[in-house]
Formats: sequence, C-alpha cells, structure tokens
Amino acid sequence: MIDTFLFLAPPIVACIIIAGMLGYFGNHILSRGIIFIDIAVAQIAALGTMIGILLGYPDTSLAVQLISFGFTIVILAVFALTRSKKSILPQEVIIGIFYCVALGIAFLLAEKIPGGSNFITKTITGNVLWVTWSDILGCAVLLSLIAGIHVIFGKKIKEVTSSFNSTSELLKNAKIYDLIFYITFGVVIVKAVPVLGIFLVFILLIAPAVSISLFTKNWKKRVAWSWIIGALGSILGLYISYSLNISNGPAIVCLLGILVFILVIVSYSSKKKNKNQEIKY
Amino acid sequence: MDAINFLLTPFVACLILLLINVYFGIHVIKREIIFIDISMAQIAALGGAVAMVIFQSAHPEASYEHAEHNTFSYLFSFGFITLAAVLFAFLKNKKNTVPLEALIGIAYAVATTGTVIILDKGAGGDVHVHNMLIGSILWTSWHDITRLSVVVLLVGIFHYIFRKKFFRLSDNYLSSEKSLNNQLFWDFMFYLSFGLVIIEAINMAGILTVFALLILPASFSALISAGWQSRILTGWAVGLIVIILGLFLSFKMDVPSSPVFIVLLAIFLLVGFVVKRFILKPGKK
Repeated sequence: MIDTFLFLAPPIVACIIIAGMLGYFGNHILSRGIIFIDIAVAQIAALGTMIGILLGYPDTSLAVQLISFGFTIVILAVFALTRSKKSILPQEVIIGIFYCVALGIAFLLAEKIPGGSNFITKTITGNVLWVTWSDILGCAVLLSLIAGIHVIFGKKIKEVTSSFNSTSELLKNAKIYDLIFYITFGVVIVKAVPVLGIFLVFILLIAPAVSISLFTKNWKKRVAWSWIIGALGSILGLYISYSLNISNGPAIVCLLGILVFILVIVSYSSKKKNKNQEIKY
Repeated sequence: MDAINFLLTPFVACLILLLINVYFGIHVIKREIIFIDISMAQIAALGGAVAMVIFQSAHPEASYEHAEHNTFSYLFSFGFITLAAVLFAFLKNKKNTVPLEALIGIAYAVATTGTVIILDKGAGGDVHVHNMLIGSILWTSWHDITRLSVVVLLVGIFHYIFRKKFFRLSDNYLSSEKSLNNQLFWDFMFYLSFGLVIIEAINMAGILTVFALLILPASFSALISAGWQSRILTGWAVGLIVIILGLFLSFKMDVPSSPVFIVLLAIFLLVGFVVKRFILKPGKK
C-alpha cells in the first residue's frame, strides 16, 4: 500500500497542479467557444519539438523545449492579432486549419525521425507515471508565474472573454489582453503536453469546465470546481489505470469524458420543464 | 505510363472523396462543428477496434489483416456511428447550455484514448494507430473504390433530394429557433449519412486526409464565394488541382500523400486570404 502510494505520489501531485491551471483556462476556452484551441496548440508544440529533434537535440533537452515554446508563441501571436469581428471564417475553423496543417507537417517530419510513428503515438497518450519530482517543481514554478500574471490581468481578460462572441466592437486594448491570454495559455500547454499527453490536457481543460457550467454560472465557483473535478478525476483515473494495468492518460480521459456525457444527458433530461434557462457568460 | 497506372486508383479515390467532402465541409463550417468528422471517424475506429478485439479473441488463429474491414467490424463501426448520430442530434436539439463542439471534442478524446486502450491489448497497436490517422491511399484497391462510390452515390442522392431541408438546417443552425418541423430527425439523418461516408472514407484514406479534404477546400470556397452552389463548385475546383498536384508530388518525392495535400491546400488558403484581405479590399481595416 505504501509502495503503491509512493509510486503514484508524483503523478498525482502533477495532475493536481496542472488540473488547477487547466481548469481555469478551460472556463475561458469554453466561454469563447474555441474548444479545440488546445489540441491545435499542442499539435503545434509537438511539431516544434519534432523540429528540435530533427535539428539534432535530444528530445528532453532545454533547447528542444525552447524551440517548441518559441514556435508555439509565434503561431499564437499570429492567431491573437489577426482576430477581428469581421472575420469571414469562424475562429474554430481557423483553429481546425492550424491543427490540420500542423499534424500534416508532423507526419512528414515523422518520416525523417527514427521511430517517428512511435513518437506521434507517444504524443497522443503521454505517460504521467514517469514524471519526476524535479519535473513537478519546474511545472509548479512556471504555473505560479502564470497564475501571478493572471491575478494581475485576470479581470480584464475575463471581460474580453465575456464579450468574445458578442457583436459589439472589440474592447479597448482587447488585442493586448488576448495576446497575454494566448501566450500564457500556450506556455501552459507546451509544459503540460509532454507530461500528460494531448488528450489528457484536452479533457482536463474541457470536461471539468463543461460539467460545472451545467450547475452554476458564478465564475469563481466554476473555476474552483473545475479544479476539484479535474483533480479528483485524475486521482481516480490513475488508481484505476494502476489496478487494471491500462495506460494512465487514456484511463483518466475516458473517466472524465464519460462523466460529462452522463451529467449532460441527465441535466438535459431533467431540465425539460425550465427550458428557457440559458447560460450567460 | 507506369506512374499513371499506379496513381489512377488513388486519384479516383480522392476525387470521389472530394466530391462529397466539399459538400459536407460547407455544412460543417456553417454549423461551426469543425471537428465532427475527426470525432465521427474516431468513433467509427473505436467500433472497428472493439470488433477486432472480439474477433481476435473468438478466432485466435486469424491474422490481423483478416479481421479488418469485414462485415463484422463494419457492423460495429456502423452501430457506434448511429449511436453518435443520435447523441449529437439529441444534445443539440435541447436548449443547450454547452456548445455542441465541446461535447464533440470530448467524444473525440474518449474515442481516441479508448481505441488506444483497446489496441494496447492487441499486437501492433502503434502501427495501427498510425495507419488509422494517416491511411495509405496509394494502395487503394478498385474494390474499396466501388464500395466508396456506392455509399457516396446513395448519400449524395439522398442529400440532393432533400437538399433544401439540409441547407435550411445548416443555415439556421446557430440561431435558437426551429427551422424545420422534424429538426431532430433531419439532424439525425445528417449525422448518420455523414458518418456512413466517414466510415468508408477513413478506411481508405485515413483520418487526416478526410479532415483535410473536408475543411480546407470548403474554407477556401468560403473565402471567395457565397451561396451553396458556387461554394461547392469552388471547393471542387481547388480540391481537384491540389489532388492532381499532390499525388504527383507525393509519388515523385516518395512521401505520404495526405500531408502533401494539406500543405498545398494551406498554401491556397493563405494566398486566398492574403488576396482577399489586402489586395481586393484595400482601405478596410
């Protein structure tokens, strides 16, 4: 029992820390309706990593991480700065295009890296079991920095998010806050994906935010509960994956994903009477 | 001459895919459910994976190739798709507080990781995941093409007959009013027919190619034309150019074809965007 606990302690701590950050961002993402931004960002970051490996750096080195960061930030800056109210294509379409192109190029590069197809599968699943305490420390420092930035600018960013899909003019300085939002988001994703894998990051972003949005409209409650749901889901998922001997990331993803569908179906079916209820972001 | 013979089957295959995908792509962009196809494809693949595991445990001596693409796994894929179509139609139709795209995304994540869990148990999981994503359209057989054309023809005729209903449904998709009487039913038919095409398409071309042909030509057509008819024609035209060029390049350079399509389509989009934004309408911000 103690051994199991010691073995599972680092991944659990990692999941709890990252779930907090992702839960916060998830509520923003959901309110903006740009659901797949993180998969696109993760794919872009993975592409950055592959470029780094192709340049001859070992796949966990600092240089690769920096290349990946730089690459992602440039793309996200383009994304944030080109947004306008008059855009012909919805944001989600542009995200889809980015994703598709990044994945396509990743496949081209995978041909050049020995075991490239392996690498793409690894990006998909991740392996949180092998996370070390020093990885966690690195994550924690970075995430507290980002949390600090969001404590300072959080209010403004939230205003931009709430007006994201309204037809009124952009807020003053909206682009700057968007830039801060997307860049910090990108940094979190780049940090989290190698540890957790694309799909676990995706589900920790979206699933807790969706679940709690069914029950409350209060922003602070939504953020707090997202963290709790994400953390509990991760712990339970890790435990299940450990005892059934299946991959850990997929176990958590399935657990949280199925939870959402159950909650949504139950709440839709029970909400038939007060149909007019609509969430206001 | 050999090259032309070799490339003839993938060319025909891509052409059929393009015909139907551009049409569906315009629907999907209007509904802003961009990732529906990846999600559907993955759900079908999950069905196939489940079937494969069941098949293998029932017939341990059968080879991996054997279990693929037979009636058994098709039925499973079909069952999963039908279920997903019911789910998506139902979840949209209620006054929804959650964007459908979020649920589509979660379904995608669950289906993908579920497939990984299942295939981990069987041998060659990595290779299978890779093939599922990227496919290998260069090795398409006439048999596959016949299957695809039958499905595309049936779905195409169905959508042609009821085109007005489907157009109206997608045009008004984001507004909360009802645009049709049996909206739930038609939504279900939309997702189901879409899913049927997707099953055949991914078996042949892989998720990535299908996604690319769905989203990219339709996006390009949205840039330069309005109205259903002109959009469809634009999408076909650009897709045709890219397919011919892409197949030729991928054959010459010995790289997988779908990434080449994607890169080419991305170039078209970029050029289209720049032309539209900066050349045709100078003076606008």
